[in-house]
Amino acid sequence: MNTQEAKFILSAYRPSGGDTGDAAFVDALRMAGEDPALGAWLSRSRAHDAAVAGKLREINPPQGLRAAILAGARVSGSPRRSRSVWGWAAGLAAAAAVAFTVYTVRTPAASPSGSAALASFAIDDMLHAKHGSSGEASSALVAALQVEGAKMPAAASIDFDRLRDTGCRTLNFAGHDVMEVCFARGGTEFHFYMTRRDGPVGSSVERGPSFLAQAAGAAAVWSDGRFNYALASRAGVEAVRRLL
Amino acid sequence: MNNEAFAQLVDAHYAPLYRFALSLARNAPDAGDLVQQTFFIWATKGDGIRELSKAKSWLFTTLYREFLRGRRRDSRSTSIEDLPPGEKDLAAEDVDRVSKMDAALVMTALQTVDETFRAPLTLFYIEDMSYQEIAAALEVPIGTVMSRLSRGKSQLRTALERVESSSGKVLPFPLSKGASAS
Repeated sequence: MNTQEAKFILSAYRPSGGDTGDAAFVDALRMAGEDPALGAWLSRSRAHDAAVAGKLREINPPQGLRAAILAGARVSGSPRRSRSVWGWAAGLAAAAAVAFTVYTVRTPAASPSGSAALASFAIDDMLHAKHGSSGEASSALVAALQVEGAKMPAAASIDFDRLRDTGCRTLNFAGHDVMEVCFARGGTEFHFYMTRRDGPVGSSVERGPSFLAQAAGAAAVWSDGRFNYALASRAGVEAVRRLL
Repeated sequence: MNNEAFAQLVDAHYAPLYRFALSLARNAPDAGDLVQQTFFIWATKGDGIRELSKAKSWLFTTLYREFLRGRRRDSRSTSIEDLPPGEKDLAAEDVDRVSKMDAALVMTALQTVDETFRAPLTLFYIEDMSYQEIAAALEVPIGTVMSRLSRGKSQLRTALERVESSSGKVLPFPLSKGASAS
Protein backbone atom coordinates (compact mmCIF):
# COMPACT_ATOMS: atom_id res chain seq x y z
CA MET A 1 0.00 0.00 0.00
CA ASN A 2 1.36 3.42 -0.91
CA THR A 3 0.41 6.80 0.53
CA GLN A 4 -2.24 7.54 -2.08
CA GLU A 5 -3.90 4.20 -1.49
CA ALA A 6 -3.87 4.81 2.25
CA LYS A 7 -5.48 8.23 1.77
CA PHE A 8 -8.10 6.69 -0.45
CA ILE A 9 -9.09 4.20 2.23
CA LEU A 10 -8.87 6.66 5.09
CA SER A 11 -11.25 9.02 3.29
CA ALA A 12 -13.99 6.66 4.41
CA TYR A 13 -12.80 6.68 8.03
CA ARG A 14 -15.39 8.52 10.09
CA PRO A 15 -14.23 11.38 12.31
CA SER A 16 -16.38 10.05 15.14
CA GLY A 17 -14.07 7.07 15.48
CA GLY A 18 -16.93 4.75 14.69
CA ASP A 19 -14.72 2.68 12.43
CA THR A 20 -12.19 1.79 15.09
CA GLY A 21 -11.56 -1.91 14.83
CA ASP A 22 -12.81 -2.18 11.26
CA ALA A 23 -10.30 -4.44 9.51
CA ALA A 24 -10.57 -2.43 6.29
CA PHE A 25 -8.71 0.47 7.94
CA VAL A 26 -6.08 -1.39 9.95
CA ASP A 27 -3.24 -1.27 7.45
CA ALA A 28 -3.90 2.32 6.43
CA LEU A 29 -4.06 3.45 10.06
CA ARG A 30 -0.84 1.62 10.86
CA MET A 31 0.82 3.34 7.94
CA ALA A 32 -0.45 6.72 9.16
CA GLY A 33 1.11 5.98 12.55
CA GLU A 34 4.45 5.28 10.99
CA ASP A 35 4.50 8.06 8.38
CA PRO A 36 4.43 11.54 10.00
CA ALA A 37 3.25 13.23 6.81
CA LEU A 38 0.41 10.79 6.35
CA GLY A 39 -0.40 11.05 10.05
CA ALA A 40 -0.64 14.83 9.80
CA TRP A 41 -2.85 14.49 6.75
CA LEU A 42 -5.15 12.14 8.63
CA SER A 43 -5.42 14.60 11.52
CA ARG A 44 -6.34 17.40 9.14
CA SER A 45 -8.76 15.18 7.30
CA ARG A 46 -10.59 14.19 10.47
CA ALA A 47 -10.71 17.79 11.68
CA HIS A 48 -12.07 18.89 8.31
CA ASP A 49 -14.67 16.13 8.31
CA ALA A 50 -15.77 17.01 11.83
CA ALA A 51 -16.08 20.69 10.91
CA VAL A 52 -18.14 19.97 7.79
CA ALA A 53 -20.38 17.52 9.65
CA GLY A 54 -20.94 20.02 12.44
CA LYS A 55 -21.93 22.76 10.03
CA LEU A 56 -24.31 20.58 8.05
CA ARG A 57 -26.05 19.43 11.20
CA GLU A 58 -26.86 23.05 11.99
CA ILE A 59 -29.27 23.11 9.05
CA ASN A 60 -32.82 22.89 10.40
CA PRO A 61 -35.91 21.68 8.56
CA PRO A 62 -38.46 24.37 7.73
CA GLN A 63 -41.26 25.25 10.08
CA GLY A 64 -44.23 22.98 9.80
CA LEU A 65 -42.55 20.09 8.02
CA ARG A 66 -42.95 17.75 10.96
CA ALA A 67 -46.62 18.55 11.34
CA ALA A 68 -47.14 18.06 7.62
CA ILE A 69 -45.42 14.66 7.71
CA LEU A 70 -47.57 13.47 10.58
CA ALA A 71 -50.71 14.73 8.94
CA GLY A 72 -49.93 13.60 5.42
CA ALA A 73 -49.06 10.06 6.40
CA ARG A 74 -52.45 9.70 8.00
CA VAL A 75 -54.56 10.86 5.14
CA SER A 76 -55.88 7.45 4.29
CA GLY A 77 -56.30 6.45 0.71
CA SER A 78 -54.35 9.38 -0.66
CA PRO A 79 -53.00 8.58 -4.09
CA ARG A 80 -49.53 9.61 -5.11
CA ARG A 81 -49.84 13.32 -5.16
CA SER A 82 -48.31 15.91 -7.31
CA ARG A 83 -46.38 18.54 -5.48
CA SER A 84 -49.19 21.02 -5.85
CA VAL A 85 -51.47 18.98 -3.65
CA TRP A 86 -48.91 17.25 -1.49
CA GLY A 87 -46.32 19.86 -0.75
CA TRP A 88 -45.23 19.93 2.86
CA ALA A 89 -46.75 23.35 3.29
CA ALA A 90 -50.03 22.09 1.94
CA GLY A 91 -49.72 19.25 4.38
CA LEU A 92 -50.20 21.73 7.18
CA ALA A 93 -53.78 22.01 6.10
CA ALA A 94 -54.07 18.27 6.29
CA ALA A 95 -52.57 18.48 9.76
CA ALA A 96 -55.56 20.46 10.80
CA ALA A 97 -57.86 17.66 9.75
CA VAL A 98 -56.12 14.88 11.59
CA ALA A 99 -53.90 16.19 14.34
CA PHE A 100 -56.63 16.37 16.92
CA THR A 101 -57.73 12.85 16.19
CA VAL A 102 -54.22 11.70 16.73
CA TYR A 103 -52.96 13.66 19.64
CA THR A 104 -55.55 15.64 21.43
CA VAL A 105 -56.13 14.64 25.00
CA ARG A 106 -59.07 16.96 25.25
CA THR A 107 -61.12 18.35 22.41
CA PRO A 108 -63.32 20.91 24.04
CA ALA A 109 -64.82 22.41 20.95
CA ALA A 110 -66.05 21.54 17.52
CA SER A 111 -64.44 22.96 14.39
CA PRO A 112 -60.94 22.12 15.56
CA SER A 113 -59.13 22.35 12.25
CA GLY A 114 -57.70 25.83 12.65
CA SER A 115 -56.90 25.21 16.30
CA ALA A 116 -55.08 21.98 15.53
CA ALA A 117 -53.04 23.54 12.77
CA LEU A 118 -51.97 26.48 14.91
CA ALA A 119 -51.25 24.26 17.93
CA SER A 120 -49.20 21.86 15.83
CA PHE A 121 -47.30 24.75 14.34
CA ALA A 122 -46.58 26.20 17.79
CA ILE A 123 -45.37 22.91 19.28
CA ASP A 124 -43.23 22.14 16.27
CA ASP A 125 -41.64 25.57 16.38
CA MET A 126 -41.08 25.34 20.12
CA LEU A 127 -39.32 22.01 19.76
CA HIS A 128 -37.28 22.54 16.66
CA ALA A 129 -36.50 26.19 16.02
CA LYS A 130 -34.07 28.70 17.40
CA HIS A 131 -35.77 31.41 19.40
CA GLY A 132 -35.05 34.95 20.35
CA SER A 133 -36.52 38.38 19.81
CA SER A 134 -35.25 41.89 20.13
CA GLY A 135 -36.80 45.32 20.36
CA GLU A 136 -38.49 47.41 22.99
CA ALA A 137 -42.02 46.25 22.20
CA SER A 138 -41.01 42.62 22.36
CA SER A 139 -39.20 43.15 25.67
CA ALA A 140 -42.24 44.86 27.14
CA LEU A 141 -44.46 41.98 26.09
CA VAL A 142 -42.09 39.45 27.62
CA ALA A 143 -41.97 41.44 30.84
CA ALA A 144 -45.76 41.48 31.02
CA LEU A 145 -45.96 37.77 30.36
CA GLN A 146 -43.48 36.95 33.10
CA VAL A 147 -45.48 38.59 35.87
CA GLU A 148 -46.72 35.88 38.22
CA GLY A 149 -50.47 35.46 37.94
CA ALA A 150 -50.80 37.71 34.89
CA LYS A 151 -53.31 36.65 32.25
CA MET A 152 -52.33 36.27 28.64
CA PRO A 153 -52.47 39.54 26.71
CA ALA A 154 -55.46 40.48 24.62
CA ALA A 155 -55.88 42.44 21.41
CA ALA A 156 -56.12 45.79 23.16
CA SER A 157 -52.61 45.47 24.52
CA ILE A 158 -50.94 44.20 21.36
CA ASP A 159 -49.49 46.37 18.61
CA PHE A 160 -48.85 43.63 16.07
CA ASP A 161 -47.16 45.82 13.48
CA ARG A 162 -44.90 47.50 15.99
CA LEU A 163 -43.84 44.18 17.44
CA ARG A 164 -42.95 42.87 14.00
CA ASP A 165 -41.24 46.04 12.85
CA THR A 166 -39.09 46.43 15.94
CA GLY A 167 -37.53 42.98 16.02
CA CYS A 168 -40.01 40.55 17.51
CA ARG A 169 -39.37 37.09 16.13
CA THR A 170 -41.64 36.69 13.12
CA LEU A 171 -42.47 33.33 11.61
CA ASN A 172 -44.16 32.46 8.37
CA PHE A 173 -47.14 30.18 8.59
CA ALA A 174 -48.80 29.50 5.23
CA GLY A 175 -47.72 32.90 4.00
CA HIS A 176 -48.82 34.86 7.05
CA ASP A 177 -46.88 36.45 9.88
CA VAL A 178 -46.90 34.79 13.26
CA MET A 179 -45.21 36.60 16.12
CA GLU A 180 -43.46 34.67 18.87
CA VAL A 181 -41.87 35.51 22.20
CA CYS A 182 -40.38 33.23 24.84
CA PHE A 183 -40.86 33.84 28.52
CA ALA A 184 -40.48 32.06 31.84
CA ARG A 185 -43.03 31.73 34.56
CA GLY A 186 -42.18 29.98 37.81
CA GLY A 187 -39.05 28.51 36.28
CA THR A 188 -40.93 27.02 33.33
CA GLU A 189 -40.33 28.18 29.77
CA PHE A 190 -43.29 29.09 27.58
CA HIS A 191 -43.68 30.26 24.00
CA PHE A 192 -46.44 32.71 23.11
CA TYR A 193 -47.61 33.00 19.49
CA MET A 194 -50.07 35.36 17.90
CA THR A 195 -51.37 35.80 14.39
CA ARG A 196 -54.13 37.87 12.88
CA ARG A 197 -57.61 36.41 12.59
CA ASP A 198 -57.42 36.93 8.85
CA GLY A 199 -54.23 34.87 8.82
CA PRO A 200 -53.47 31.22 8.13
CA VAL A 201 -56.11 29.61 10.32
CA GLY A 202 -58.67 32.38 9.92
CA SER A 203 -61.67 32.47 12.19
CA SER A 204 -61.84 28.73 12.76
CA VAL A 205 -60.03 29.07 16.08
CA GLU A 206 -62.60 29.20 18.84
CA ARG A 207 -62.61 31.91 21.45
CA GLY A 208 -62.26 29.47 24.32
CA PRO A 209 -59.02 27.54 24.66
CA SER A 210 -58.40 24.20 22.97
CA PHE A 211 -55.51 22.05 24.04
CA LEU A 212 -53.15 19.83 22.11
CA ALA A 213 -50.84 17.47 23.96
CA GLN A 214 -47.96 15.61 22.42
CA ALA A 215 -45.26 13.55 24.03
CA ALA A 216 -42.72 16.35 23.80
CA GLY A 217 -44.93 19.31 24.63
CA ALA A 218 -48.37 20.86 24.71
CA ALA A 219 -50.11 23.93 23.40
CA ALA A 220 -53.30 25.86 23.97
CA VAL A 221 -54.94 27.95 21.27
CA TRP A 222 -57.63 30.58 21.62
CA SER A 223 -58.75 33.77 19.94
CA ASP A 224 -60.29 37.17 20.44
CA GLY A 225 -61.69 39.69 18.04
CA ARG A 226 -58.44 40.38 16.21
CA PHE A 227 -55.94 37.65 16.91
CA ASN A 228 -55.50 33.91 17.24
CA TYR A 229 -53.11 32.90 19.99
CA ALA A 230 -51.10 29.85 20.97
CA LEU A 231 -49.18 29.12 24.12
CA ALA A 232 -46.75 26.19 24.06
CA SER A 233 -44.53 24.55 26.64
CA ARG A 234 -42.54 21.39 27.04
CA ALA A 235 -43.91 21.19 30.59
CA GLY A 236 -47.21 19.74 29.40
CA VAL A 237 -50.83 20.66 29.10
CA GLU A 238 -51.42 21.38 32.79
CA ALA A 239 -48.60 23.90 32.88
CA VAL A 240 -50.12 25.64 29.87
CA ARG A 241 -53.62 25.54 31.29
CA ARG A 242 -52.48 27.23 34.52
CA LEU A 243 -51.47 30.37 32.65
CA LEU A 244 -54.83 30.92 30.93
CA MET B 1 -47.22 1.00 13.93
CA ASN B 2 -49.29 3.16 16.23
CA ASN B 3 -49.42 6.92 16.07
CA GLU B 4 -47.03 7.52 18.92
CA ALA B 5 -44.43 5.16 17.46
CA PHE B 6 -44.77 6.82 14.08
CA ALA B 7 -44.29 10.25 15.64
CA GLN B 8 -41.17 8.97 17.39
CA LEU B 9 -39.85 7.64 14.10
CA VAL B 10 -40.47 11.02 12.48
CA ASP B 11 -38.80 12.87 15.35
CA ALA B 12 -35.75 10.62 15.17
CA HIS B 13 -35.17 10.92 11.45
CA TYR B 14 -36.93 13.80 9.76
CA ALA B 15 -34.22 16.40 10.36
CA PRO B 16 -31.30 14.35 8.96
CA LEU B 17 -33.53 13.17 6.13
CA TYR B 18 -34.32 16.78 5.32
CA ARG B 19 -30.61 17.65 5.24
CA PHE B 20 -29.97 14.71 2.95
CA ALA B 21 -32.87 15.76 0.73
CA LEU B 22 -31.69 19.37 0.69
CA SER B 23 -28.26 18.32 -0.51
CA LEU B 24 -29.85 16.27 -3.30
CA ALA B 25 -32.71 18.49 -4.39
CA ARG B 26 -30.84 21.75 -3.80
CA ASN B 27 -33.95 23.66 -2.79
CA ALA B 28 -36.05 23.63 0.36
CA PRO B 29 -39.53 22.99 -1.09
CA ASP B 30 -38.43 19.93 -3.04
CA ALA B 31 -36.44 18.69 -0.05
CA GLY B 32 -39.53 19.02 2.14
CA ASP B 33 -41.60 17.15 -0.40
CA LEU B 34 -39.05 14.34 -0.58
CA VAL B 35 -39.05 13.91 3.19
CA GLN B 36 -42.80 13.94 3.39
CA GLN B 37 -43.09 11.49 0.53
CA THR B 38 -40.61 9.17 2.22
CA PHE B 39 -42.61 9.06 5.43
CA PHE B 40 -45.81 8.65 3.46
CA ILE B 41 -44.35 5.54 1.83
CA TRP B 42 -43.33 4.27 5.25
CA ALA B 43 -46.84 4.81 6.52
CA THR B 44 -48.31 2.89 3.63
CA LYS B 45 -45.65 0.25 2.99
CA GLY B 46 -42.69 0.47 5.29
CA ASP B 47 -44.69 -0.57 8.28
CA GLY B 48 -43.79 -4.07 7.22
CA ILE B 49 -40.31 -3.39 8.52
CA ARG B 50 -40.69 -4.47 12.09
CA GLU B 51 -37.07 -4.03 13.05
CA LEU B 52 -36.72 -0.36 13.88
CA SER B 53 -32.96 -0.74 13.75
CA LYS B 54 -33.37 -1.02 9.99
CA ALA B 55 -35.75 1.89 9.71
CA LYS B 56 -33.05 4.51 9.27
CA SER B 57 -31.42 2.74 6.35
CA TRP B 58 -34.84 2.06 4.81
CA LEU B 59 -35.82 5.73 5.06
CA PHE B 60 -32.61 7.00 3.49
CA THR B 61 -32.77 4.40 0.74
CA THR B 62 -36.36 5.26 0.00
CA LEU B 63 -35.70 8.98 -0.07
CA TYR B 64 -32.80 8.46 -2.44
CA ARG B 65 -34.92 6.26 -4.70
CA GLU B 66 -37.66 8.87 -4.70
CA PHE B 67 -35.15 11.53 -5.62
CA LEU B 68 -33.83 9.45 -8.51
CA ARG B 69 -37.34 8.60 -9.62
CA GLY B 70 -38.42 12.20 -9.47
CA ARG B 71 -35.87 13.53 -11.85
CA ARG B 72 -35.36 12.46 -15.36
CA ARG B 73 -32.62 9.88 -15.61
CA ASP B 74 -31.66 10.81 -19.10
CA SER B 75 -28.39 10.70 -20.95
CA ARG B 76 -27.02 13.43 -18.77
CA SER B 77 -26.69 11.01 -15.91
CA THR B 78 -23.03 10.79 -15.11
CA SER B 79 -21.27 7.60 -14.30
CA ILE B 80 -18.28 7.53 -12.04
CA GLU B 81 -16.03 6.63 -14.93
CA ASP B 82 -16.98 9.78 -16.80
CA LEU B 83 -16.02 12.15 -14.07
CA PRO B 84 -12.71 13.93 -13.79
CA PRO B 85 -10.41 12.88 -10.99
CA GLY B 86 -10.36 14.77 -7.72
CA GLU B 87 -8.46 17.98 -7.97
CA LYS B 88 -7.29 19.06 -4.60
CA ASP B 89 -5.52 17.59 -1.62
CA LEU B 90 -6.22 18.71 1.93
CA ALA B 91 -4.40 21.73 3.33
CA ALA B 92 -4.38 23.15 6.83
CA GLU B 93 -6.32 26.24 5.78
CA ASP B 94 -9.17 24.08 4.53
CA VAL B 95 -10.03 23.18 8.11
CA ASP B 96 -10.02 26.81 9.24
CA ARG B 97 -12.11 27.82 6.27
CA VAL B 98 -14.95 25.47 7.17
CA SER B 99 -14.87 26.41 10.83
CA LYS B 100 -15.40 30.07 9.97
CA MET B 101 -18.12 29.51 7.39
CA ASP B 102 -21.85 29.79 7.88
CA ALA B 103 -23.70 26.47 7.82
CA ALA B 104 -25.81 27.57 4.85
CA LEU B 105 -22.67 28.30 2.86
CA VAL B 106 -21.30 24.85 3.62
CA MET B 107 -24.57 23.36 2.38
CA THR B 108 -24.36 25.52 -0.73
CA ALA B 109 -20.87 24.19 -1.42
CA LEU B 110 -22.03 20.62 -0.89
CA GLN B 111 -24.88 21.17 -3.33
CA THR B 112 -22.40 22.00 -6.07
CA VAL B 113 -20.61 18.66 -5.74
CA ASP B 114 -21.54 16.22 -8.49
CA GLU B 115 -24.63 14.29 -7.57
CA THR B 116 -22.80 10.98 -7.82
CA PHE B 117 -20.55 12.01 -4.96
CA ARG B 118 -23.00 14.18 -3.07
CA ALA B 119 -25.29 11.42 -1.82
CA PRO B 120 -22.62 9.30 -0.10
CA LEU B 121 -20.85 12.40 1.13
CA THR B 122 -23.99 13.71 2.78
CA LEU B 123 -24.73 10.43 4.51
CA PHE B 124 -21.13 10.29 5.72
CA TYR B 125 -21.27 13.77 7.20
CA ILE B 126 -24.83 14.15 8.37
CA GLU B 127 -25.61 10.68 9.61
CA ASP B 128 -22.10 9.52 10.45
CA MET B 129 -22.84 6.44 8.37
CA SER B 130 -20.08 3.92 7.80
CA TYR B 131 -19.08 3.05 4.26
CA GLN B 132 -21.00 -0.24 4.62
CA GLU B 133 -24.15 1.58 5.73
CA ILE B 134 -23.84 4.05 2.87
CA ALA B 135 -23.41 1.19 0.42
CA ALA B 136 -26.57 -0.42 1.76
CA ALA B 137 -28.57 2.80 1.75
CA LEU B 138 -27.60 3.79 -1.79
CA GLU B 139 -27.50 0.21 -3.06
CA VAL B 140 -24.00 0.45 -4.51
CA PRO B 141 -20.88 -1.67 -3.89
CA ILE B 142 -18.60 -0.85 -0.97
CA GLY B 143 -15.66 -0.06 -3.24
CA THR B 144 -17.78 2.42 -5.12
CA VAL B 145 -18.68 4.18 -1.89
CA MET B 146 -15.03 4.52 -0.91
CA SER B 147 -14.18 5.91 -4.30
CA ARG B 148 -17.05 8.38 -4.22
CA LEU B 149 -16.19 9.55 -0.72
CA SER B 150 -12.57 10.15 -1.65
CA ARG B 151 -13.36 12.06 -4.82
CA GLY B 152 -16.37 13.79 -3.35
CA LYS B 153 -14.34 15.20 -0.49
CA SER B 154 -11.85 16.59 -2.94
CA GLN B 155 -14.63 18.26 -4.92
CA LEU B 156 -16.16 19.59 -1.74
CA ARG B 157 -12.91 21.23 -0.64
CA THR B 158 -12.68 22.98 -3.98
CA ALA B 159 -16.32 24.01 -3.74
CA LEU B 160 -15.88 25.36 -0.21
CA GLU B 161 -12.98 27.49 -1.33
CA ARG B 162 -14.96 28.77 -4.30
CA VAL B 163 -18.08 29.53 -2.29
CA GLU B 164 -16.13 31.31 0.40
CA SER B 165 -14.27 33.49 -2.08
CA SER B 166 -17.50 34.46 -3.83
CA SER B 167 -19.42 35.29 -0.66
CA GLY B 168 -19.44 38.74 0.83
CA LYS B 169 -16.69 39.60 3.24
CA VAL B 170 -17.65 40.95 6.63
CA LEU B 171 -15.82 44.15 7.35
CA PRO B 172 -15.52 45.78 10.76
CA PHE B 173 -18.15 48.48 11.08
CA PRO B 174 -16.59 51.79 12.17
CA LEU B 175 -18.23 53.35 15.21
CA SER B 176 -19.36 56.91 14.74
CA LYS B 177 -18.18 59.59 17.12
CA GLY B 178 -19.79 59.33 20.48
CA ALA B 179 -21.08 55.83 19.85
CA SER B 180 -19.88 52.96 21.89
CA ALA B 181 -19.94 49.24 21.43
CA SER B 182 -22.37 47.40 23.64
